[in-house]
Amino acid sequence: MKVIMKPIEVIASFNLNGMPTPLKFKIRENDFPVVINVEHISFRSEEKLAGNKMITFRCQSTVKGLLKVFELKFEPGTGKWFLFKI
Amino acid sequence: MSRRLIFHVDANSAYLSWEAVRRLQHGDKLDLRTVPAVVGGNPETRHGIVLTKSIPAKKYGIVTGESVFSARAKCPELIIVPPDYYLYMQCSKAFGDMLREYSPLVEQYSIDEYFLDYTGMAKALGDPLATAYRLKEQIKQELGFTVNVGISSNKFLAKMGAELKKPDMVHTLFPEEMPYKMWPLPVEKLFGVGRATAPKLKERGILTIGDLASADPRHLKLFLKSYGYLLWNFANGRDESPVRPNRRVLIKGIGNSATIPFDVTDRQTARLVLLSLVENVGARLRRAEYLAGLVSVSIRNNKFYSYSHQRKLSTPTDSTNKIHETACRLFNEIWHQEPIRHLGVRVAELCTNSLLQTNIFEENIEKQRAMDRAVDEIRSRYGLKSVMRASFLHSGLNCVAGGTVTEEEYPVMSSLL
Repeated sequence: MKVIMKPIEVIASFNLNGMPTPLKFKIRENDFPVVINVEHISFRSEEKLAGNKMITFRCQSTVKGLLKVFELKFEPGTGKWFLFKI
Repeated sequence: MSRRLIFHVDANSAYLSWEAVRRLQHGDKLDLRTVPAVVGGNPETRHGIVLTKSIPAKKYGIVTGESVFSARAKCPELIIVPPDYYLYMQCSKAFGDMLREYSPLVEQYSIDEYFLDYTGMAKALGDPLATAYRLKEQIKQELGFTVNVGISSNKFLAKMGAELKKPDMVHTLFPEEMPYKMWPLPVEKLFGVGRATAPKLKERGILTIGDLASADPRHLKLFLKSYGYLLWNFANGRDESPVRPNRRVLIKGIGNSATIPFDVTDRQTARLVLLSLVENVGARLRRAEYLAGLVSVSIRNNKFYSYSHQRKLSTPTDSTNKIHETACRLFNEIWHQEPIRHLGVRVAELCTNSLLQTNIFEENIEKQRAMDRAVDEIRSRYGLKSVMRASFLHSGLNCVAGGTVTEEEYPVMSSLL
């Protein structure tokens, strides 16, 4: 997988413990927005490098008939989401 | 009582590795630690000194404290990143929290250094050396930066131990190891020997720490006064200072200074710069609930020559206007009309503000205080630039200058262990 680290717009659900689950996200490619539904989350991991907490989600989606694996990253300190790796 | 066990944990090239880790976390492909890079000021606003360097930058002969300009001359492809004190505080806090998993007695000694008292912890966590390695690895894994750990029976030796060889190392420096680990080092490596003391010792033939340890303390006292005894004790590895959790330095004075982006040549601009400095000093003074009895002003001119002047106030005050007025008067008395590069204001002789002595000749002081209070409150809620004095309009100056973060939050290293 390659590191992309592109900011994305996300719709996520939060459980009672405040743990988020991304449902779908929008990414602009060549100024053309694409919406991708997150179909499956394989696992999530937490890191606090440099004291900054970030949650990484390993996800799967079908894009144009192909099963794609990618990682999303959420930064609770700023509320921002990124497409981390494809 | 059994021997104490103290760890000194020091982040390697702290500012730079923290910046590097943040960049990696945000998807940057380049690790700043692997290329010549420095954390330094912005040369355009003339805040141009090297604060921290990477190890590859060190190979070009770049030293901490030199100007960014001369560093770039040594290495044209040098990467310069601006400092970010909020990031450093965040890293430092996470660093401290991790250390507290290893002992309840942890002292923050500076932004990137901690002391940890491991005395008696061996029963719970095991061998100190093994724990130190575990601690070092845990910080590297979870926080992403490397540290040096020094282990000894007091704070001084632990600190000397952590400095031995960097980066990412664990060293022990127990008193019995001093003759071969510490005494052969040059005397300026000793904690407390700096550029003022080192020449004095060298002139007298004391070249290594071992020379100092075997010197006659009465002889040292002749030219170093009581500090000679302290250094002699240090050189012999004697130090009894305890690990103090929640170290808080007693505030003796509050100061603020700034290097101005351009040379100041007229009185009017200088008054404005002083005002922007005093705005910050005044607000901090009031927040700490103190009154100041002394104001001092310092000037550094374009030839890097510095001088200062101070005066006691007839009655202690916390008013921005009154401090500014005194600062301007002091400034007028000493300024030689040459271009100014750097200005500073400092207040001292602090006393509590629960009782305020008024001056018979003074204007309505209650009104003045209410005004200051209102401005402080607005600024704390809506930001520093939410209210500003009209005199700063179109002046090109910041209405509140200097002070990245207050020193209550940002621990600076002290000369006391």
